[in-house]
Amino acid sequence: MKALKDLVDDDLELARDVLDKQVVDCEETKMGRVDGLLLELRDGKPPRVHSIEMGGVVLARRVHPGLERVVEWLRRRLNVRQTAVYSVPWSEVEELNSYHVKLNAAALDTPAFDWERWLRDHVIAHIPAAAKGGADSE
Amino acid sequence: MNAKKAATLALGILTSVGGFFDVGNIATSAQAGAVFRYQLLWALLLGTFLVIFLVEMSGRFAAVTRQAMPDAIRTHFGFTFWLVPFIVLTLVHFLVLGAEIGGICFALHLVSGLPVQLWALPVAVLLWLFLWRSTFGAIENSSSLLGLITLAFVWAAWRHHGPAGQILAGMLPSLPHQDPSRYWFMAVSLLGAVISPYLFYFYSSGAVEDKWDDSYIAVNRGVSVIGMGFGSLISLGAIVVAAVVLAPRGIQVDDYHQAALMLTQAFPFWGFVLFAVSMGIACVGAAVEVSLSMAYTTAQTFGWNWGENLDPREDARFSLTYTIAILAAALLILFGVDPLKLTLLSMAVNAAVLPFVAIPFLLLMNDRKALGKHANGWISNTVTVVMLILALVLAVVSIPLMIVGGG
Repeated sequence: MKALKDLVDDDLELARDVLDKQVVDCEETKMGRVDGLLLELRDGKPPRVHSIEMGGVVLARRVHPGLERVVEWLRRRLNVRQTAVYSVPWSEVEELNSYHVKLNAAALDTPAFDWERWLRDHVIAHIPAAAKGGADSE
Repeated sequence: MNAKKAATLALGILTSVGGFFDVGNIATSAQAGAVFRYQLLWALLLGTFLVIFLVEMSGRFAAVTRQAMPDAIRTHFGFTFWLVPFIVLTLVHFLVLGAEIGGICFALHLVSGLPVQLWALPVAVLLWLFLWRSTFGAIENSSSLLGLITLAFVWAAWRHHGPAGQILAGMLPSLPHQDPSRYWFMAVSLLGAVISPYLFYFYSSGAVEDKWDDSYIAVNRGVSVIGMGFGSLISLGAIVVAAVVLAPRGIQVDDYHQAALMLTQAFPFWGFVLFAVSMGIACVGAAVEVSLSMAYTTAQTFGWNWGENLDPREDARFSLTYTIAILAAALLILFGVDPLKLTLLSMAVNAAVLPFVAIPFLLLMNDRKALGKHANGWISNTVTVVMLILALVLAVVSIPLMIVGGG
């Protein structure tokens, strides 16, 4: 597991510098945000960051337990997102800078992209005008 | 300055044509000029100064941190802080988008004679198709070029030779001669029409789309002054024209049809069409901006992939957000909501939600850990805080007055 000091040169404040930050994959595709952080408590040693959590359920839990139940019920009902909480071990964090957390993962293969994938295949694919004229002109 | 940086002026003018001079400005300028002639020019001026400062800040923030506003607000203040403003702003943007689509439909109604409601769905589909197929650069260039037609208002004001003394006097705040509650409410609506919250989210996301970095700080300053100055000049033109053409005839503009007469005196033959085309283009620019702004804000709030240069296959959630927003807002017009009433309501609400936008924004601009030496200085802070307080006091006092007054 990488030590935090390899990633940042200053003190790292979890709530300020990690929580809610943009998460990108190895190709810098935006794949979600740090919705939650899981700490690991160890006997006789200081706690350490175990993993990053992503998912609507995690966000809802931060607002209210009731909202968490609603979001979880909706998720099961819609059945697009298979894993409620996508949990990424801290060791998968490749880079941490002022504007993103980069993971050693491919967004498309993760639960974070369940909805993106589903909408692309079931909605966008059926819209006839789906090509951009001159992509990335400026 | 190289060509690429000179071209960023397009972002400024686009932001201005859509975000500054839009359906709200047409409605409020026409009313203010028709009822109070030049006396409310100060509200436009106050709004212009405030908007120049705020736009400059949001561009500077994006250039230094590579983050757009909603992105940075969630990162710095957390999801639970941002959730309520996010929901409120989404609702406000929905109303504003409805008003802009209503403006386009009305412009088409003026030219075609067909009912406003009939245009709602075709307009929604065309707007959507434009966003779906175009890159950010193409949107910037076409909107800012077409937006130049709104200069017709300035040209008309020039041809009317408005009384310079009265125009200058109107730039200083003064007490109303008649109907005070209407006067103050109109001042707030003018402010709300100038300072639309989506403008800052749009501009800073646009700066990220255009890949700005530290070297754009000076350009950004120029762009905000010139871009917003452009929008202000057009609104000024519209107020003067309304004061010269509408006020002496006692036309109070409770209907867009009355506003449409504004340009007919300066341009007897083309005035009507010029008004329709100016209104249509300004509203298309604004509708593009509001719907993109809604998609930027939502995508950044949840961390989805976003970018108007990406193919919809690569940012399905972003693209579907503006798709749904446009269709839903068009339903307001389809079901017969009056475009002018919707506009005036959304402009007053714009002014009322200003603290939601401005307070987190000011805090971020003073965060030296994020901005380093580019954080706000005391001049920016003082000017913004003083003007914000003025705008807020006006909104808090006059909106209830207007409601009690039954206007």
